[in-house]
Amino acid sequence: MARKNRRNPKPVRGRRYESRRGKPRPCTVCPQGGVDWKDTGFLRKYMSDRGKIRGRRVTGLCPNCQRQVATAIKNAREMALLPYVGGK
Amino acid sequence: MRDYEIMTIHRPDLAETEIDSKVSEIESFLADSGGSVTKRDLWGKRRFAYEIDHLSEGFYSVLTFQAQPETVETLERRLTLADEVLRHKIVRLEE
Repeated sequence: MARKNRRNPKPVRGRRYESRRGKPRPCTVCPQGGVDWKDTGFLRKYMSDRGKIRGRRVTGLCPNCQRQVATAIKNAREMALLPYVGGK
Repeated sequence: MRDYEIMTIHRPDLAETEIDSKVSEIESFLADSGGSVTKRDLWGKRRFAYEIDHLSEGFYSVLTFQAQPETVETLERRLTLADEVLRHKIVRLEE
């Protein structure tokens, strides 16, 4: 119940988080245990519609997972599964 | 012995049956040099995300296998020379 009221958090002494964005969300890839570079549908989630790899501040992944996703996308690009430049 | 995964793209102008035998060639090469194939997955014809050699599609196949590093090296060399293979990628599988 305490977690529910996320929009109006109880005032805490001092600033807990640096940004105004609020509490950082946990990495969404970690629990899956590994990234498959052949799963294009999954990798697309981490690309812009132009085909660029989204940055960590956008994806919210931990450093390790972000790196795994990035190399997976690069592998998939080499095999023409994903575009280098997605014509918009 | 190490675990690997190999993806190959064969030319789209080959027949479906030819693809099968080409993939089997890779499999038998691995078996002959002491490796073992654990999984074979033919994706069939698939569109490329971009053109490769003015072609827009190709036959994809994925094999999971165990082999010695030296075997992989020679396989790599053979695939680069093979005309019917447009592209290939061998990736080491981590636990």
